[in-house]
Amino acid sequence: MASKKGEDAEDLNLVPIMNLVTILIPFLLMAAEFVSLSVIDSTLPAIGAPTDATPQDEPDKPPLNLSVIITNAGYTIAGSAAVLKNRNEGSEGGPTVPCKEAGCPSVESYNIKELRALLNQIKDEYPEEENVILVPESSVKYSVIVQTMDGTRDDPDNKEDGKARLLFPYVVIAGGAS
Amino acid sequence: MGMKKKSRRTEPSGELNITSMMDMMTIILVFLLKSYSTSDVSVAPSEDLVIPVSSSQKPPKLAVNLVVSRKEILVDGKSVLRLTTYADPDTGEPTVAVPTDEKRGQLIKKLYDHLLEKAETAKDLGARSGSSELDFKGQILLQCDKRLPFGVLREVMYTAGQAQFGEFRFVVIKGT
Repeated sequence: MASKKGEDAEDLNLVPIMNLVTILIPFLLMAAEFVSLSVIDSTLPAIGAPTDATPQDEPDKPPLNLSVIITNAGYTIAGSAAVLKNRNEGSEGGPTVPCKEAGCPSVESYNIKELRALLNQIKDEYPEEENVILVPESSVKYSVIVQTMDGTRDDPDNKEDGKARLLFPYVVIAGGAS
Repeated sequence: MGMKKKSRRTEPSGELNITSMMDMMTIILVFLLKSYSTSDVSVAPSEDLVIPVSSSQKPPKLAVNLVVSRKEILVDGKSVLRLTTYADPDTGEPTVAVPTDEKRGQLIKKLYDHLLEKAETAKDLGARSGSSELDFKGQILLQCDKRLPFGVLREVMYTAGQAQFGEFRFVVIKGT
């Protein structure tokens, strides 16, 4: 008799919970997010007013106007003073950071590591500078531009206090050489 | 005991064992709760709209939604313009362009009209509400296909700039 009573107590009525769960599941399925999104901010150079977060340049220093020109040969880094030369021998007049493969057939062929290394050096010289101007060529794919914005924003290989070192987080996309 | 056995035999399907089903449901429930999104922005990725992956961590905020896929341009879900597809003379890959009769210089006429209307509505709303939260700041969310050439993007950005949208937010998929 005693054992029978114990069996009754175990037999919980789960049907109302089942009803609840069955209704919750379609509702949550609708609101579920399977890709998490984020955004990259950018302003127009001429029309867009600078955001509040953009720090003002110090008046006594000439602005750097750091630009990264993206072409079908690679990246060319330029400032207000000069265009950065490629230091490798035999590539005079070419881009500062040429593609790993000639003609840049894929997104991966753009040498983002080398670009980051150079930007790190520029950041060392101009620690206050936070703006970069991207000048892509007309035929450059959008994914390359996004990858370049990732490359100029921060450097995950160069940690500062456990965080990726911020390079030039404020991106402006300019008209570009066509 | 004998009585009970008899009754069970006459109603074989009377008691269903739902404990295992409960287990499953609980796991699904936890999984779905984890992926529950409170984000205002949603994308509908398709064959023609592949959003690139980025390391950016900035959460998206609601704004006018401009989608540039490989087939068309949409503003807030409404189709504005169809793009023409042609083979790239250098690589032979299919690329897109805005039809020349839809442009005036770099300006995409139909898109300009649509965006100007959106800007006017947003400004009106901001003025009526009187709160700084709803003030028109010219923010626009850009969802572009990753194979889109910059030439098209430049025309779209120029048009948005002319229609007083100067703050671009490129929507990307958050990478690890």
